[in-house]
Order: sequence, then structure tokens, then C-alpha cells
Amino acid sequence: MPNLAKHERLAGAALSALAFAIVALGFFAVIGEPPLATLLSMVEYAVGDRYSLSETLVKMTPILFCALAAIVPARLGLISVGAEGQFHIGALIGTGMMLWTQPFDGWLLLPLVLFGGALGGALFGWLPGILRARLSVNETITTLLLNYVAVLMVSAAVYGPWKDPGNLGWPATIAFPDAAVLPQLFGTRVHAGLLIGLLLALCLHVLFRFSRWGQSLDILKGNVRVGRMMGLDYRHHVVIVMALGGALAGLAGIGETSVIQGRLQPGISVGYGLTGFLVAWLAGHNALLAVPVSFLIGGLIAAGDTLQLFNKIPASSATVLQGLMFATALAVPGLIALWRSRRG
Amino acid sequence: MDEATLILIAGWVAAILRSATPLLFVTLGETLSQRVGIINLGIEGEMLAGACFGFAAAATTGDPLLGLIAGGAAGVVLSMIHAGLCIGLGANQFGSGLAVWMIGLGITSFYGRAFVGGQVDASGSLGGSWVSDSPVLGQLLDNLSWTALAAVLLVLLAGFLLYRTRTGLAWRTVGEAPEAARAAGLSVPRIQVSGVLLGGFLAGIGGAVLSVDYTQTWAQEMTKGRGLVAVGLVIVARWNPYLVLPTVLVFGGAEAAVTRLQAGGFALSSHVLASLPYVIALLVVIGAYAWGRRGSGMPEGLKGVFAIRGS
Repeated sequence: MPNLAKHERLAGAALSALAFAIVALGFFAVIGEPPLATLLSMVEYAVGDRYSLSETLVKMTPILFCALAAIVPARLGLISVGAEGQFHIGALIGTGMMLWTQPFDGWLLLPLVLFGGALGGALFGWLPGILRARLSVNETITTLLLNYVAVLMVSAAVYGPWKDPGNLGWPATIAFPDAAVLPQLFGTRVHAGLLIGLLLALCLHVLFRFSRWGQSLDILKGNVRVGRMMGLDYRHHVVIVMALGGALAGLAGIGETSVIQGRLQPGISVGYGLTGFLVAWLAGHNALLAVPVSFLIGGLIAAGDTLQLFNKIPASSATVLQGLMFATALAVPGLIALWRSRRG
Repeated sequence: MDEATLILIAGWVAAILRSATPLLFVTLGETLSQRVGIINLGIEGEMLAGACFGFAAAATTGDPLLGLIAGGAAGVVLSMIHAGLCIGLGANQFGSGLAVWMIGLGITSFYGRAFVGGQVDASGSLGGSWVSDSPVLGQLLDNLSWTALAAVLLVLLAGFLLYRTRTGLAWRTVGEAPEAARAAGLSVPRIQVSGVLLGGFLAGIGGAVLSVDYTQTWAQEMTKGRGLVAVGLVIVARWNPYLVLPTVLVFGGAEAAVTRLQAGGFALSSHVLASLPYVIALLVVIGAYAWGRRGSGMPEGLKGVFAIRGS
């Protein structure tokens, strides 16, 4: 909501939340569930007790990273939807690091695995970045297509050379050794990746606000020609933000694979990339705001899983609700503008 | 050339055209939407909805034609969300398209679960006793359903409408110069909504052709990015409906050739093979940018959306 004043943005956010609640109630009514009761049990399943809360934080972790992966390029006005693919390539290269260095099994293993994840993701950000910088190829289309390539590369690895014969045919690699896995917290599935994500969100926010780099991005986003007159290299910055965004999504991929899944296998992501993009958008491409929003959407997805378990409502309802939330958030600023112009 | 070779070639052409038919509908739909200045990434969700609800209708009624119509209707319903958000409320077109994609993804896996593993009858083949005296023609037509013919005719019709009629002129003006269109008394929103809805209709039919006619099954997320490939191919076809036909066929041909490589004994992982359509689509899009004049043929009204700023 770029053209609105601050109090209007707050009103807009409140209105979006209200509109979404109404739309969600409507959706539950359409699928024949008691609307209010279902909505309330979703809230309960998201944050109701210690276990629910921990599962929400588990889902929030990759979403936060993927949101930051969309936010960094967006600071330059680029629309990267490649987090899903970067997530998978990060998981792939990170797992590769584990497989190659596993015989040494020292303290270096974990940093190497994480580095591999970041490197893989960065590669799948760098590629659309360089294409955009050199040939002006639209980054939205290339990142979307690369997502499918990346997912299939993971499948090729786990059905092929990396399949552990000990799995009795199940397509998965060997399990990550403890030395290659981030520590888990409070005796739950929540892991240190969440803390890294929170720290990164804070760092990025500070960098965007106060660093020369952040200023350069703002100038170039506003007007490339003005930036160039000030000696800023647009192409250089395009490649940097795309690769950096990719590295963040790659970290999400390796974190999810090593800690939550324990091994590389198909289905490591339930659309975290696209969800992260939604979060980035809802947060207005503000790195700090991405934290509460990814908590919210993490809760929605976790509640969707529990809803399937206890209320026999398919978990895909969470996907529908995400889409509807996105649509309402896109609609509300337009509705406010329309209402304002009606009043003259 | 002897007859055996001709029959072989006819078989190839039929196979390529058959597998390219869904993409032909979808790419044509996206082309029309973009010609009025609206890019629609939601076409992926619209195609998926067409595949799901088209299959459901065909499986329930036993009539493939009803399936195609239901698929088209599902595409229209989803594209109405996109039209409302972008044209009615001025939302970002990429954001809105992704929202529509998400809704399509969620709804089809929600309602499609009941139809996984179902069976349908495909719409009839073009062949018949009347071509029995020509084995080459028989080979071609027996392997094609009338949807392939309809797709080819629609491409020609869309090209004719766009370049040779007053309506087409109005559409092109809206896409190229909305201000001038407004000054000329055209209703820009009305024409843009028509373009998006028609695009959604064709995408829905394309999805239904995929599930009802081609695979004859429904599987979740079965379009697997075909709609997004179509968005890329529109650029390659330079926003020209006529060029959609050769573009999609060359793409389909490359895909078919690669699939035959594996049959020819190349030990490629089936997953690597499955990724080739996306790689090919990427390469042709990159080629279109590298060798064409940048953005040539792109409707002026789209340039703001694509944010080409002389970089």
C-alpha cells in the first residue's frame, strides 16, 4: 500500500484482516462446515497450547526465510517467485555437502552443510539475476520456470544416485548425522534456524534502512537513470539481490531437510516458496514485518494440518485460505482508494 | 518418399499436435489477455481448475463436450477474480495472478480428491471410414481428436479477429495506448475484462483438454507449470496469435524429440527428462530476448507491468 498515509495503512491492515475473516467464514460455509466454530478451532490449533505453538513456529521458519528471499529482490523492484526452486537446490547442494564430507564428521560439518544450502540457493538466484541484468529477461517468468527444474533435480537425485539402499526402495538419502544438524529448542521440533531467521530479518531491516547499500537500492528502485547518474550500477545490484535472496531460500531448504525431514526426500516443501512470496507481499516488503506475518501464515498452515487430522477437512483448505488472504490484501487498498474518490 | 516414411511422419505430427493442443489453447488465451495489457500468471490456476472441473463434469455426465465447457467455465470464474483485482481495483498484476494461482491450486486439490483415479471417455477422433483409402491421412486423423482441429482453427480465428476486424483494432488500441483508446471513446476496462475472461475461458478449456482428452485422468497439480510455460511462450510468439501456432508446435516437437531420445536408449533419469520442457521453455524465452529486439512486439501497455526501465 505505497500511496497511503500511515494511519490509512493501519486502517487498511485492520480492514484486510476483517475482510479476510469474512471471506474465510464464507469459505467454511461453502464447504459445509460450521463457519465460526471452524475458524475458532483453527486459532486454537495454531496457538492453543504448547505443542500447537511449537508446530506453528516449525512452519514459520522456512516461510520467514522464503519471505526474506522475495523481499531482498523486491527492494530493487524485482519480482522473484523463485524461492521454491532455490529452497530445493539449497537442500540438494547442502545434502551433497553432507554426503561428501560425512566421513570426516567433525565440527566443520554443520557450517559446510549450511554453506552448501546457501550456495545452492544463491546459484538459482544468480542465474535469473544475470539473465535480467544482461538480457533484461523478465525475472518473474525465469524464476517460476526454474522452480520446476529444481524440484525435479531433487527427485532425480533421491530416486537415482543418492538413494540409500537401506531405505527398502523409499526414495531418500541417508539420514543427516547429528553433527550436520542445527540444534532443536525446548525439546520440540523448533530449531535454531528460527533464531537465525529472526536475526537475519533484523539485520536486513537495519541494512535496508541505514546502510549505503539500502539507500542505493531505494534510489535504483525509484529511478534507474537517476541512480546511474549517481554512479550506481543497476546490473551489479540486480545480480547481488537475486543471489542473496536465493541464498536465504537455500538456507530454508537445507534447514527443513536436515532438521525436520532428517534426510533429502521428495515433498520437502509444502509450497513454502509461494507462501513466502505471499508473506513478503503482505508485509509490504518490510523485513521486520515479515516476522509476525510469517508467524500468522505458519499458524494457518499448522492449523490446516490439525484440521485435517481432527475435523477431516483436507489440509488443502489452508492453501485456499492463503490464496483468499492474498486476494483480500490486494483488494483492500483498491477499495479504500475507490471509497476515497467517491467521497471526492 | 515411400509411404512407410510418410506414415511415420504423419504419426509424429499427430503425436506432437495431440500433446501440444492443451498448451495451444492456454497460450492463445494468455496472448489475448496480454494484448489488452493484462498479464495473467493466474492462468496456471485457471488451467488447473479447467482440468479438474472439466474432468469432474466429463466423468459425472459421461460427455466429454460438457467436460470441456465446464472446464472453460471454471477458467472464466477464476479469471473474474483476476479481472476484478487488476482492472477493478488496480492491484498489481503479478500479485493478483499468483493469488488466483493459489486459489486454483487449493480449490482443485480440495474438490479434486474425489476424482483422483477416475476414468473418462475422450472426445472422438477425427478419423473414420472416410479416410480409409489413404493410410497416411488415416494415421494422422485417427490419432487426432477434434479438439486439436478446434485449437488450430481458433488460432487462425483469433488472428483474424485481432488484425482484421474493428473489435480487434479496439483491443489492440487498448493494449498499446490505453489513453488514446479512452480518447477515442472506447471503454478500456470493459475491453480489458473481456480479454482476461476470454483468456481464462481458453485456459480452462486447455486444462480440460489435458485431463479429458489427453491423459484421460485427473491428478492433483497435473498442469505442472504448463500455464507458466505458456506465459513464457507468449513472449516468444511476440504477442501474435498467428505465431502462437508455430511456437507451441516447435516447443511440443522439441519435447517429443527428447522423449524419443529415452526410447532410443539414452539412459536419462525420467526426472531429468521431465525437467526438459521447462529448460526448453527457458531457453526459447532467453533466445527471444537475446536475438529479438528487446520486448519487440510487446504491447506498450504491458511495458509498465514488466517494468522495463532502460536497464
